[in-house]
Amino acid sequence: MVMTTGVAFFAYNNSKIDYSKLATLAALYVKRHMANNTTCLITDEGTWEWMTDTVKDIRLDDAFDEVVLTDVVHPTNIRSNYDSPWTQFKSEFKNSNKHRVLEYTPFDQTLLLDIDYIVQNNSLDNLFNTDASVALFHDAESLAGLRPGPNEQRLHELGIPMLWSTAVYFDRNNKLTKMFFDLWAHIADNYDYYQFLYGFPGTLYRTDYCVSIAAHIMNGMTDGDIIEAIPGKMINMSQKDDIAKINSIDDWVYLVNNRMENWKDSVTRIKGENVHVMNKRALGRHYPYLTKLFEEAK
Amino acid sequence: MDERLEKALAFSNYRVTIDNRKKAIKRRYETMSVVYYNDGVFVADPQTISFIGTLSVDSGGATVLDEKDRPIDIPDLLAFKQTLLEAYHTAMNEYADEMKKLAKARDVKKAMDW
Repeated sequence: MVMTTGVAFFAYNNSKIDYSKLATLAALYVKRHMANNTTCLITDEGTWEWMTDTVKDIRLDDAFDEVVLTDVVHPTNIRSNYDSPWTQFKSEFKNSNKHRVLEYTPFDQTLLLDIDYIVQNNSLDNLFNTDASVALFHDAESLAGLRPGPNEQRLHELGIPMLWSTAVYFDRNNKLTKMFFDLWAHIADNYDYYQFLYGFPGTLYRTDYCVSIAAHIMNGMTDGDIIEAIPGKMINMSQKDDIAKINSIDDWVYLVNNRMENWKDSVTRIKGENVHVMNKRALGRHYPYLTKLFEEAK
Repeated sequence: MDERLEKALAFSNYRVTIDNRKKAIKRRYETMSVVYYNDGVFVADPQTISFIGTLSVDSGGATVLDEKDRPIDIPDLLAFKQTLLEAYHTAMNEYADEMKKLAKARDVKKAMDW
């Protein structure tokens, strides 16, 4: 039996961030670097209409092979965002149905990526050649190579390890996969209870917490590898970092904000590495130039 | 500001930038050194290459533990060694090239290709 493979993205616009453009950019990077590069956009009618009206600088067909329209009412989930340390804004974060990717995806083997995860090499292709049921990043580091803050290493200072839902690989024909996503849905439905039980902070609904708890439960309430680790660490560009310059499509210069002394920045340059660009407005600022580069590279 | 301190702080900023870049180059090297083989995950590092090389002297195939401590059957050790060596050379050559370029960069702008 031939297994279909591909990469899926969720994009639901809000009034502050144009997720549709960021998803287009992320898909173009997947097309450029990965062999398993059939892409699927999961969105809603409003975002899709906006996208077809406003994304002019690139052909949407070049970015997406399939589009799945969902009709979901998302509960209020307000996220506090930064764009460098000096600009803060709140926006609606529509992620309540992320676990339903299992029913939305058209692929047997899917890599679900957040739209701010920029793929600049083909290392994730290897996941499609493994027998993993589900795989995610178990570890992350900053652009400067630092570990995440304590509240992003563990759900609680004495709690379970944090896993990241930024990149989720899964094989839908595997029974464990179904169990994982069902459990994720259960945790989402009973979020307050699990927040009390696992002691994670905040009021924002975070899927990172859901996948961490699901993995912990499936591992028999201990550390384990039933949910496989994607090799290496996910590189996180913080919302307080910025993109200083685009040297080329795969060579970016970043301003790295000092966590302890916010008025200080250093610079770093990253070539050919996958980066979670959490400052979405920074990504948006460079969208026109990057899409121009993609058009020129055709 | 005291000129001595001003010069030292400028140099300090330059060092931070160089250090950031070194870490990024190393991270890229580590990513490129990962080898997937028969459902196992391996790193093309000197230890693994040497071990596989040693095993291949006496036998055609063997079972070895991968990075996740899973026993993985390697039916053709020589072919696997070749795969490891290719990954190692590709990653190391790029690492060496990037480090040479960085060593020549005498200021932040050059290091960032600004």
